[in-house]
Amino acid sequence: MSGPAARRHPLAGIAVAGVAATRQARSLDGNSIQICLEAARAALDDAGMTIDEVDGISARWPGPGGTVFGPGSVDWTAVFGKGFDWVGDTYPQGAPGLLDAAAAILAGQCSTVLVFGGRAGESAAGSPGAATRATVPSGDDASSAAVSSGDDAMSAAVSSGDDATSAVASYTRPENEFVACWGSLTAAQFALVAQVYLHRFAPDPERMALVPATIRNAGSANPEAVMYGRGPYEPADILASPPVAEPFRLLDLCLATEGAAAMVVTGVERARDCPSAPAVILGGGSEWYRQQYVDPPRYDDVARIGAGAYRRSFGMAGLRPGDVDVFELYDICTFEVVRQFETLGLCAEGEGVDYLAEAGIGLDGRHPTNTDGGLLAYSHVGWGGPTLKIVEAVRQIRGAAGPGQVPGAEVALVTGAGAGAQYHNAVLLGADR
Amino acid sequence: MQPPDRADRALTGEFWAGVDRGELLRPVCGRCGRSFFTPQVVCPLCGSGRWTYEPSAGRGTVYSFTVVHRPPEPAFEAPYTLAVVDMAEGWHLLTWIVDCPADEVRIGMEVQVRFTAGPDGALLPAFAPRAAAHGPAGAAA
Repeated sequence: MSGPAARRHPLAGIAVAGVAATRQARSLDGNSIQICLEAARAALDDAGMTIDEVDGISARWPGPGGTVFGPGSVDWTAVFGKGFDWVGDTYPQGAPGLLDAAAAILAGQCSTVLVFGGRAGESAAGSPGAATRATVPSGDDASSAAVSSGDDAMSAAVSSGDDATSAVASYTRPENEFVACWGSLTAAQFALVAQVYLHRFAPDPERMALVPATIRNAGSANPEAVMYGRGPYEPADILASPPVAEPFRLLDLCLATEGAAAMVVTGVERARDCPSAPAVILGGGSEWYRQQYVDPPRYDDVARIGAGAYRRSFGMAGLRPGDVDVFELYDICTFEVVRQFETLGLCAEGEGVDYLAEAGIGLDGRHPTNTDGGLLAYSHVGWGGPTLKIVEAVRQIRGAAGPGQVPGAEVALVTGAGAGAQYHNAVLLGADR
Repeated sequence: MQPPDRADRALTGEFWAGVDRGELLRPVCGRCGRSFFTPQVVCPLCGSGRWTYEPSAGRGTVYSFTVVHRPPEPAFEAPYTLAVVDMAEGWHLLTWIVDCPADEVRIGMEVQVRFTAGPDGALLPAFAPRAAAHGPAGAAA
């Protein structure tokens, strides 16, 4: 960044110099270590670096092998055959992973951090027993609403009007003793929040369904998206999909797929020597209200979660939400997209559905959102899922986002988690100018 | 699903032992007098470690609910209604609404505890509409 105002903020001078995402699919061969390595190496290639230059790592160890001792990221030293000066097990990745890496660099603990995560070979996709199998440790996957069954269940729901009970689906299973005993799942925790919103504000269902339809259509146009080529989706398709946890239907909820994502974080001076233009951190922040999936989320407690993180992020950047060119929001469900726009203050509480229908969240709208198809239609890979949003934001800022490119995008907002999980985070990325 | 040793758990065993005998208990702080849930080592409202499990009258209202059509495990028979119930004593919990058709559950509906067997046969403190609840408060269904 140049300019005195940009220099002043606490995260100034840090950039994302390289990003990568592997192939994303309902299930992938191999294991999580292999797919993570693939993403990490591709991000280094993108940055024009080798592992020799990396002295910090944040990539919680997925196993197999290694130890139970934390920080798990130390286990990667054996894979890379080298030590690191700083390791972090930041939960989750995405915005918090980027902010922790930036903090470590700014505090003089290291100079270049490799952040990555993902999963492969863990999904029981296609197997008749998938519904009975825990596909991932629930703690690692707390951010994803629906585990496995992505494309088959989706296509079944759309093409044949399949009923809710026939499609095989495994879901995240919160393990707390006051949650698991009731057969709750991540989607249901978010539904408990959304239901109060619908009760109070009664948004028009067709207009609300325009949100996932638009994001899913972005995924349809993205060749890298798991749901590439599906659709096009109309609100009626969303409303016709089978219920999962009311008010959410199948097409209101995110995927749970496999793949990995990675980013290389370094000082902006170093990043300027990399093959691609840097995406610099303009601001960021996190908010933790309660542990996820222990005490049930209450709309009145979590409806505005993220407001503080946004305030700090935009305060650092010297920007307003209306200045954002492209939104890469955590779209675990339809309601969360609406809630985040309300929490950003772009519209009032209860007015988000009408506001977004009028403003537009597609490429031709005022607020292009989840231009890669998001968690709804691109991919959601648990640990690495939030980093996919950074990857897309960086590509947007580089002007290299392909069919989802927002012309001239210079400011991108990336968010993570949401009301049902009782925490939220944000980072603003921008062009280096 | 509940393992058989739930009544032996640190911190929460007494709650589950109550459920096993058809009694709904809640942590009540000995200093500030308020109820809270889930059980914590210290009262989250005032910080006192001096709290005890006290009987609940089992009356509450539905704060929110969701009808689940895709259970996380096949042992749960869908559809079923998850709810957050606000108890008259000022605490709340995640639970089920039972003895009520899913399309008749409403936010604000008054409910009464109704002990119901979970998928593994162990009792759980579910809730039924006040009109449908019969028997003394806290009694096993």
